[in-house]
Amino acid sequence: MGHIKLNNVCKSFGSTEVLKNIDLDIQDGELLILIGPSGCGKSTLMNLIAGLEEITSGNIVIAGDDVSDKSPKDRDIAMVFQSYALYPTMNVARNISFGLEMRKVPKEEQEKTVNRVAELLQIDHLLDRKPGQLSGGQRQRVAMGRALARSPKAFLFDEPLSNLDAKLRVEMRTEIKKLHHRLGTTIIYVTHDQVEAMTLADRIAVLKDGVIQQLGTPYQIYNDPANHFVADFMGSPGMNFVECVVFEDKLIIESGSQNYQLSIPCSDSVKSSKLDSVILGIRPEMLTDPKPHENNPYIHEVEFDVEVIEPMGADTIAIGKWNDTEIQVRLSPESGETAAEGFKLQVDTSKAIAFDPRTGQRVR
Amino acid sequence: MITNKFSSINFGRVLIYSILIFFAFIYLTPLYVMFSTSLKDIEEIRSGNLLALPNDPTLYAWVKAWSSACTGSECNGLAPFFWNSVRIVFPAVIISTIIGAFNGYVLSKWKFKGSELLFGALLFGCFIPFQVILLPMAILLSKLGLSNTVSGLVLVHVIYGVAFTTLFFRNYYVGISTELVRAARLDGAGFFDIFRHIFLPISTPIFVVTIIWQFTQIWNDFLFGVVYSGAGTQPITVALNNLVNTSVGGKEYNVDMAAAIIAALPTLIVYVFAGKYFVRGLTAGAVKG
Repeated sequence: MGHIKLNNVCKSFGSTEVLKNIDLDIQDGELLILIGPSGCGKSTLMNLIAGLEEITSGNIVIAGDDVSDKSPKDRDIAMVFQSYALYPTMNVARNISFGLEMRKVPKEEQEKTVNRVAELLQIDHLLDRKPGQLSGGQRQRVAMGRALARSPKAFLFDEPLSNLDAKLRVEMRTEIKKLHHRLGTTIIYVTHDQVEAMTLADRIAVLKDGVIQQLGTPYQIYNDPANHFVADFMGSPGMNFVECVVFEDKLIIESGSQNYQLSIPCSDSVKSSKLDSVILGIRPEMLTDPKPHENNPYIHEVEFDVEVIEPMGADTIAIGKWNDTEIQVRLSPESGETAAEGFKLQVDTSKAIAFDPRTGQRVR
Repeated sequence: MITNKFSSINFGRVLIYSILIFFAFIYLTPLYVMFSTSLKDIEEIRSGNLLALPNDPTLYAWVKAWSSACTGSECNGLAPFFWNSVRIVFPAVIISTIIGAFNGYVLSKWKFKGSELLFGALLFGCFIPFQVILLPMAILLSKLGLSNTVSGLVLVHVIYGVAFTTLFFRNYYVGISTELVRAARLDGAGFFDIFRHIFLPISTPIFVVTIIWQFTQIWNDFLFGVVYSGAGTQPITVALNNLVNTSVGGKEYNVDMAAAIIAALPTLIVYVFAGKYFVRGLTAGAVKG
């Protein structure tokens, strides 16, 4: 039904290539997140799928139908825009029913649909209002209502939550997830917020410079990033990157003016790569205060000079240096209170990864 | 100290208001003179003070200016020419405004290759002096068989007005989110649907601005009127000129004044009733644009 396939899609504006050979296979009912920094082409990709812009080469298939040359209205998809793009002179009910009106759906059916959608999104008391009289969150709901009204094959969300304040954003995020579970319609969702991506996605596609860097589940993207860029982009606070000299199959770090040798899961490949140094990637939550542990080759204890403390409530981020590179570690609030120079830091390298410093690619 | 501060503010206020009142007085005096003179009879004008109120107000001059003053060889007053102007202004304003709205919509929301160039060329039309196009336009009108006709004048004003109306609408629509157009396209609306259902309803301010602008321009036009009109199709501005220049016996200042006010009245009325929308529309377009 809502199976979307992109084959080798390219898009250029004049001589600038914004999307290069995009291949995506989005399953029916899947929620796919397109994420990347601004200018990476994620919104353009969305517009191509919607038919608002023409593809330069390749093709797009929706539900078995090649729609590459079809106009937006014949693709049977609905879109929620960042600015909501509600029709300012129409009331909420007409905003929702406008698409049905344009498709010559009978009046009674339009009314039924408006009522059904309004109830689903809890905006039934707002139907007579104009968009100008609504709050940001209400406008957001109406914009979603307009997309839902037509029961399309797929929804496209273009940064739908970025105009909301932080609290409302979290609420609406949950709501979108619930809605997706309930309707089971395919959703392609563009965002630059990696928390939104992690929490919502069935799969995430990370874009940079018009190329998909990695396509995978949130777990894969977070724990097994394909390259330096993906590792850096996902996670908050972000992954620590420290360039280390390789000694046999160990990485050397200097912490608290002492040297330590760390072994990591991919030590063998590091050794066989014959690189003099690699970039160690390790997430802050793997750098903690000492906890009891069984004998584990990946658990190390190092001295760490804490320079700055940033209490977050649930835990405390401490900042110090390894090999003269700033790193962030995640401590419990209690030890965060007293952390200072010479803090005993437990380092768990079981999920640590290494990158080739020249290419940024993983050493596996 | 505090009282000093207050008194200095008051002094500033007084100064500002006196200057404003002084200038308002200077600007309004001619209007007052025109109006009071138009209500005097010719004896009183000859003997009396220019600034004095009429001793014995009479509508004689107004009636004569409207229905029996001589404009050249005809002596039917301004009435037939007033209606000529109406017959020119209404279609010209409506047609040029509608074309401008469409042009603005296309040039801002449906850009195509060369649309910016086209807009630049149209914009250039705003700066072409009337005199330059007099001759070519005369040739065009005669080829079309529209010389000396009301339709010919309507055509001239539409062509000349489209540059301005397009500019107004284009600048207004540029300020409206293009995502609206995209949303409507996904909703299945076509080119005309989007214009009708989404753009027209939000265009009231810019329509008011454009209509007032065009109405004033076309009603007050003299040059095109005098060049392209025939004996029976002259607009009121041309007739006013003829009326003032035609003297049977002595100069009747009161009739001239009444005629001038009659000729200016429609634009005055438009400003009095729609002036605030005009200012609001202009600034709304400017700020949001």
